[in-house]
Amino acid sequence: MRAVAVGQAELKLFWRNRTALFNSLVLPLLIVPALMAVDADGEPLLVGLVGFVLVMAVYYNLVTTFVARREELVLKRLRVGELTDPEILFGASLPSVVVALGQMALFAVIVGVATDASLPSRPWFLVMGVVGGVVMFVLLAAASSAFTRTVEMAQVTTLPVLVACLIGSGLFFPMSVVPEGVATVLRLLPLTPVLDLVRASWDDGPVLRPLTVLAVWIGLGTYAVRRWFRWDPRR
Amino acid sequence: MFALLGTNGAGKTSTVEVVEGLSRPAAGTVSVLGHDPFRERSLVRPRVGVMLQEGGFPPDLTVTETTKMWAGTLTSPRPVDEALSLVDLAHRASVRVKQLSGGERRRLDLALALLGKPEVLFLDEPTTGLDPESRRNTWELIRSLLREGVTVLLTTHYLEEAQALADRLAIMHRGRIVAQGTVSEVVDAYPARISFVPPAGVPLPVVSDVDASGRVTVRTNNLQETLYELLAWAHANSVELSGLDARSASLEEAFLAIAEEAA
Repeated sequence: MRAVAVGQAELKLFWRNRTALFNSLVLPLLIVPALMAVDADGEPLLVGLVGFVLVMAVYYNLVTTFVARREELVLKRLRVGELTDPEILFGASLPSVVVALGQMALFAVIVGVATDASLPSRPWFLVMGVVGGVVMFVLLAAASSAFTRTVEMAQVTTLPVLVACLIGSGLFFPMSVVPEGVATVLRLLPLTPVLDLVRASWDDGPVLRPLTVLAVWIGLGTYAVRRWFRWDPRR
Repeated sequence: MFALLGTNGAGKTSTVEVVEGLSRPAAGTVSVLGHDPFRERSLVRPRVGVMLQEGGFPPDLTVTETTKMWAGTLTSPRPVDEALSLVDLAHRASVRVKQLSGGERRRLDLALALLGKPEVLFLDEPTTGLDPESRRNTWELIRSLLREGVTVLLTTHYLEEAQALADRLAIMHRGRIVAQGTVSEVVDAYPARISFVPPAGVPLPVVSDVDASGRVTVRTNNLQETLYELLAWAHANSVELSGLDARSASLEEAFLAIAEEAA
């Protein structure tokens, strides 16, 4: 597959970029004790870690990657070649996605060993949640990059999604502690349905609503990317 | 080869980007190799090579890594080493792109444009920033591509480049083509110039313009006759024409005349 060539180049760049390495490999390890202090149980901890990885390793990293490649005119260069637009985005996302999946697998092993977490009874919802979450955050990252002029600005422009997802999606506290009205709104946030689906693979929770909300976010993300994504810098 | 020349901001790059299929034309149609380059990108791209005005390369990849990455996206690429030797970059293969000089980066960009063995090549200011030797080498490379039957669309600031390489050319000004044809067709439309500084108070035998420094410029469509007339008159009257300069119309003259007329 042609886009893999771009992915391999991106992977080399990733290894040579200390900030991205730190954000992807060290930061998630720091969050483990924080989440363990909140809730020592196996499954909620794993759910929280999956959410955290999606937001940091996929979303945040990719916003900076897309902006950096656009400002370096790399995206414009790729666009005069044979690759299609989706292939370029896919190739550029590849390393971040691979790293994120690796992190999740690693955390699953750590949590599995450290706690008495059981295997999920409905693993297909776990897969759907993770895959859907990855696709959605890649799209949201591409959309956010359109409103981010420089790599430094990404720290600001990613805040709405970061804050909403990290605080509002039940990462650090269960949905049951907030009033029902607020919870209804919070369930519409992008990360909440992903976590609901992952949780549902253990606790038999409802899946129809999270699947719908996730599908709507993927649709919105696709629309936003088609409408606003910028392939070359504003001049 | 077709060369597109123009004053700064004339719209050369915008025009080329529409032809390359990077942007959609606001009106009208574009056809490259019989296809619409924007809507039928997948049919056109495998057969064309593009060198943008500013190459976009991740600074932390090496020359070889960059070229391999590009080769991986192409249907039938040349070997990476071959492409790098074509532009004399083989000795810089393991250097990171951020350590390349501006001229070396232009040559890397040219290597990528040639990597897919294109039938049509778009070169947007390919020799900007190159030292004179590299420029000559690039010209030779372009000439050999032309001999192989590659079609080239060139934009350039260097008029002698267009004069040396182009079969046909067009000059743009403020978004419009103001002159086009073969080099000699474009050039022949403009008069030759003779200029000199005559002694004060001597009436001249030819029609002329005088600038503030007293320098006289004569424009003529028959350089030989006019020059002879002038020199015979000067000889007969013992007039010294200091700083005498006579030149036939060149692309530069034509270009300057167009820029002046339009200003």
